[in-house]
Amino acid sequence: MTTQTHKNVMDLFTDGARRGFTIATTSLLPNVVMAFVIIQALKVTGLLEVVGKVCEPIMALWGLPGEAATVLLASVMSMGGGVGVCASLIMAGTLNGHDATVLLPAIYLMGNPVQNVGRCLGTAGVLPKYYPHIITICVVSALLSIWVMQLIV
Amino acid sequence: MGHTSPIQPKVTWVGYLSFFITIIFFSGLFGKSTEWWRVFDFTVLNGSFGQVNTAGDTVVSFRGTGGTGAKDGFLFALELAPSVILSLGIISITEGLGGLRAAQQLMTPILRPLLGIPGICSLALIANLQNTDAAAGMTKELAAEGVINEQERAVFAMFQTSGSALLTNYFSSGAALFAFLSVPVIMPLAVVLVFKFVGANMLRLWIAYIENRASKGSDNDNANA
Repeated sequence: MTTQTHKNVMDLFTDGARRGFTIATTSLLPNVVMAFVIIQALKVTGLLEVVGKVCEPIMALWGLPGEAATVLLASVMSMGGGVGVCASLIMAGTLNGHDATVLLPAIYLMGNPVQNVGRCLGTAGVLPKYYPHIITICVVSALLSIWVMQLIV
Repeated sequence: MGHTSPIQPKVTWVGYLSFFITIIFFSGLFGKSTEWWRVFDFTVLNGSFGQVNTAGDTVVSFRGTGGTGAKDGFLFALELAPSVILSLGIISITEGLGGLRAAQQLMTPILRPLLGIPGICSLALIANLQNTDAAAGMTKELAAEGVINEQERAVFAMFQTSGSALLTNYFSSGAALFAFLSVPVIMPLAVVLVFKFVGANMLRLWIAYIENRASKGSDNDNANA
């Protein structure tokens, strides 16, 4: 099963697996722990309930509980953070599997603008006058995707 | 990531086969099957953790139930590691066998209608599925070489920013939600992919109908390539 590359399938797998282990332990784990701590802090202080109440009428447009807004806000900063917040809200019983399913594409489509303005737009050398458009479209795509997911799930 | 090299080996049938098998693998198509071909399913190969309690008690995995805060988050993240390791291992095989180059080959003729950019950009497009920075760097080069103009660069960067490094991010952080999904793992991924194109076309339309109309007459040559 050798191909044009010099590595066999097992080497290829272990290469990817090693990358997976590194990502899981050095990127995913810190993000998830941070998200769990944030949600714990919001719960202990009662702020999570406040956020839920305040955002309830808005998030109802997407058929989601108010607390789901924290997932979208976290995803503006990092994709891993958004996913982590979503997972910890499921653990807390605030969101259910259906909510997570419809939110998942939005977390990625948001395109974590806090990081990607530099990493993607800056590196690619996009004219700064397009930055607002691109960030706006990221948010719009994310919000549209929730409706699409509600339709097909 | 070997696909930034300018010399591209020919895509073989192995590449196309590995590309389609990978899609099937993550599609959950065979997940419910009880026949031998369920070996081609991500969740089947991912398996499950054993129970830590004795028979008769409520089923509890090593994470336990009712945990909170950093400690619960840590064990939860630890639970995710096997999914990330398995999925990135599989994607690495797909890439090594030429599967991603096959996808690139399939994308090349349709990039002009889909995004309004030349087919040669498919290399950066496929790279963007794995790595944000590499693809952004390639986009800068494409613009520097005059292959794409400023507006095409913005549209292409739009595509890249929304859902950036999709495969890597989805199969690492996304794994945190796989267990709760009410649909096959590949479905939300497909929705993100479709919306990447939708988003880029929103900017494309904006540029074509609003920006170009406003600048008509004052500047006929927007391409500074």
